[in-house]
Amino acid sequence: MSFPDKEKRQKCWDSRDRYWECLDKSGDQIEKCVEVRTLYETTCPSQWVKHFDRKREYLKFKERINEGYEPLDEKKNTKS
Amino acid sequence: MFISYSTKFPYCFRLNLCVRKSVNGLHNVIPLRFFKNGPGLQSFSNPTSQGLPKKKEVFGKKGPISYKTLLVTAGLSGSLLAFMLYVRKEKEAAIQLERNRALGKAAISGKFNLVDHNGVKKSSDDFLGQWLLVYFGFTHCPDICPDEIEKLVKVVDNLDQMKGVPKVQPLFITVDPDRDSIQSVEKYVKEFSPKLIGLTGNKEQIAEACKNFRVYFSAGPRDQDDDYIVDHTIIVYLINPDGEFVDYYGQNKTSENISAGILLNISKFDQSKHSFWK
Repeated sequence: MSFPDKEKRQKCWDSRDRYWECLDKSGDQIEKCVEVRTLYETTCPSQWVKHFDRKREYLKFKERINEGYEPLDEKKNTKS
Repeated sequence: MFISYSTKFPYCFRLNLCVRKSVNGLHNVIPLRFFKNGPGLQSFSNPTSQGLPKKKEVFGKKGPISYKTLLVTAGLSGSLLAFMLYVRKEKEAAIQLERNRALGKAAISGKFNLVDHNGVKKSSDDFLGQWLLVYFGFTHCPDICPDEIEKLVKVVDNLDQMKGVPKVQPLFITVDPDRDSIQSVEKYVKEFSPKLIGLTGNKEQIAEACKNFRVYFSAGPRDQDDDYIVDHTIIVYLINPDGEFVDYYGQNKTSENISAGILLNISKFDQSKHSFWK
């Protein structure tokens, strides 16, 4: 299987950026960005889609941590 | 003797003044040892022109040995001694530093035995005498490898523009020997820069190279397209012309940081080669 060359990589990154913009606008509501997502999934290899989805999760989590969210507090509250 | 000298000095100073006023007759009458047995005024500083042996010079000058000259000599030799001790301490510190650095570097030998993107066998020995910037990645990498390699190429282009800086050779070594054939690697590196050399090999050779650089790599699960992502250490390694690992740069370092770091290492290396102590 041949790897995605520079041009294909750039197309994939652009479609990913468009998808993420749509998510930011709609407030992370996947239902509102289905079309963009379909295009994104055709432009990028499925492994990359998985990778970028994970990356988005991570970036969102990082943002919450920077705003003062403490994941351990949640765990403490649910236990008690 | 010291006491008598100090009391005599003001006396003879005054006396000298008297003598200078009436020279001709006085030196015959008053046998002072500061006077010469000759007519008229004579130089008091030349001992050979008079019959009397003179230990010291008169008229405002002390002899060659005095407390002042002793102090000056002591000061000079003291400062010279201090300087020598300081320099010796610096040398010992430098030797110790090199020893420590050598111990720390032992884990990364930087050795490899691979094939370049033109199909030519290349080992780490073939690159001796050159500075190397090595990045480990794979051609199917989604975003990290392209970003890091772009950064690497930018650093090399930066350094190439500087005068008097030796050439730094960028290397790309694959962590995905199953898919990254010579042709794949050739196509991949050519898209970044003609300066970039790509290296691949069989599973054992790649595993050995990764071990020698302490690079972690692990192929992920395969999906329906038989595609997978290889998780790996994301570091750029700097190897000096002696084939020794000297520095590394992570994702957080910009191309400017890396350029500065390399310049520092180059100057350190040049200095050690032209060391005063060798």
